[in-house]
Amino acid sequence: MYKIILKLAWNNAFLRLSRTLLVILMIAVSMSMMLSIQGIYDGMTVSMIDKTKRSDCGEISLYNPDYRLNKILTNSIKGADKIRADIASRKEVRAIVTRFNVEGLSATARKSSFSNIIGINLQDEIDFGQFDAFLQKGEMILGKRGGLIGSELAKTLKIRIGSKVIFSTQDSSGEINAIRVKIKGIVQTGNIGLDTTALYIDGKRLHTFLGVQESEATQIAIRTDSPTLEQDLQERYPKLDVKSLMELYPMLQQMKDMMAIFNSITFCIVMLVVFIGILGVMYVSILDRIREFGIMRALGMEYSTSRLQIYLEALFVGLTGYAAGAVLGLGALLYLQKYGLNLSRFADGLASFGMDTILYAHIEPIYFINTFLAIIAASLISVVLPLKKIKNLNPIDVIKAET
Amino acid sequence: MIQLENVQKFFYKGEEREIHALKAITLQIEKGEFSLLNGPSGCGKTTLLNVIGALDSVDSGKISLDDKDIAAMSENERTKLRLNEMGFVFQAYNLVPVLNVAENIGFIMKLRGLGDTVIKERVQEVALMLEIDNKLQALPNTLSGGQQQRVAVARAVAAKPKIILADEPTANLDSKNSAALMDMMRSLNDKEGITILFASHDDYIFENVNRVVKLNDGAIIEG
Repeated sequence: MYKIILKLAWNNAFLRLSRTLLVILMIAVSMSMMLSIQGIYDGMTVSMIDKTKRSDCGEISLYNPDYRLNKILTNSIKGADKIRADIASRKEVRAIVTRFNVEGLSATARKSSFSNIIGINLQDEIDFGQFDAFLQKGEMILGKRGGLIGSELAKTLKIRIGSKVIFSTQDSSGEINAIRVKIKGIVQTGNIGLDTTALYIDGKRLHTFLGVQESEATQIAIRTDSPTLEQDLQERYPKLDVKSLMELYPMLQQMKDMMAIFNSITFCIVMLVVFIGILGVMYVSILDRIREFGIMRALGMEYSTSRLQIYLEALFVGLTGYAAGAVLGLGALLYLQKYGLNLSRFADGLASFGMDTILYAHIEPIYFINTFLAIIAASLISVVLPLKKIKNLNPIDVIKAET
Repeated sequence: MIQLENVQKFFYKGEEREIHALKAITLQIEKGEFSLLNGPSGCGKTTLLNVIGALDSVDSGKISLDDKDIAAMSENERTKLRLNEMGFVFQAYNLVPVLNVAENIGFIMKLRGLGDTVIKERVQEVALMLEIDNKLQALPNTLSGGQQQRVAVARAVAAKPKIILADEPTANLDSKNSAALMDMMRSLNDKEGITILFASHDDYIFENVNRVVKLNDGAIIEG
């Protein structure tokens, strides 16, 4: 029996071909647009999270508990080299860096700005987060007297490659001391906090300048995929603050939540459109064939069989639309993943939020799974009203109308 | 086989009885009978056929098919009864437009859940009998009226129902096709032993049937 019901449903779903194709096209276009928007929104969030991890805190960072409240030299992690070696020996740790970060004032002959000088090991940073990929201008070298500067700070100080910056801060003896840094490169990490304030120099040079031990650091950042490492480290180093990315950057979590809300709203709107589209085509189709259903009932087809036929018809329309939408949407997402969406016209505005001018899409299988389930639900719900017509159908009325 | 006892049927306008469509009908139809319900338009032929076919309810009286009380059945039970024990031929053919002739003929058997091989054999057999075996792959809208009505008869016959109810099956056919259809129905009745009950106001059908039940104004006046 199911074979004939399947055939009936399939043939009837495409009986009025242009009408059905129009709905399928509507589903496909709206779905592909929704997938593209989802991909771009998620791409923005994923990119910001990724850049924040790579440029700063990794998945987990360790601090002296007092440092995040009061960023002074004495609030550094003592014996950071041993802690680093201990953590690096764990197999779940992919990469690890130590940094020394001090607040101060960067100045040129004409301009000055609040900034942070960060002592780094360049090769470690490259291994940790492909730091070299952040280079916007110049060269990715620090050298003996050189350094790198955040892109927004460079703009503030009107700095070009080769310019010199004087960074002043309080050293370990309490004296105001200054260091001259020749800018070798300008970096744009996408982490707005760093891009507006960071001046990078070699870690050893910074330690010497500040008069602190080489074993000291203000931050130990870790790349890992382990969900339990944070807890393990907190237990192993109870005197240190062990913080996850989202604890350090709650704005990112907020942004992630906001994007999820935007995506949900878009998703609901598109599914409503799909629902109305299928409802329209199914309602008209059933009204057109009400006599046929009446005759089939007279011949002995039970309501449950008619219901199955109508559900299948709606599913055929919905799932054909889904298939077309998935292909179109995947194509759009792959294009946006490879070439991105160029928003350079809004570059200034986006940069102030730490966003790229070219937004790349992110692709998750869950987009397609959710849409698939929602289209099945929309298809099934859309025939509830037409089914009422069929349920209340008395075959005798159809037969009487014919005679 | 079919027993009607004092069956009354009214048509209502709002809550008021407007037409007394069937007046105390008592009738017995035996297995293998080829009977005709005859009478002028509006005499109650179709209404009587519909209540016997479990398509319509009655206000009082008893209708039984092989001792099963149709009047007391639920809508679902009546649908099952129509599927398993009855065959219908309508005036307007009422074939399923998206199914080909073979699928239309096998439709009832499919709904009953019979196997593909059984259905295929039976469809071939009936199509040959009704001379539509060369049209099995055609869609209904490509057939003439006479051919469509033969497909409708084939659909009713193929599932081997206990009774075939045919309401004015020749109304849309010309005299040649009508005569051919009646010959085929007669032959089916002879060969398959199926009970057939016709409703028609055409007098020339008399010669094909072995019983005529005459109705007038909702009551049996002869037969």
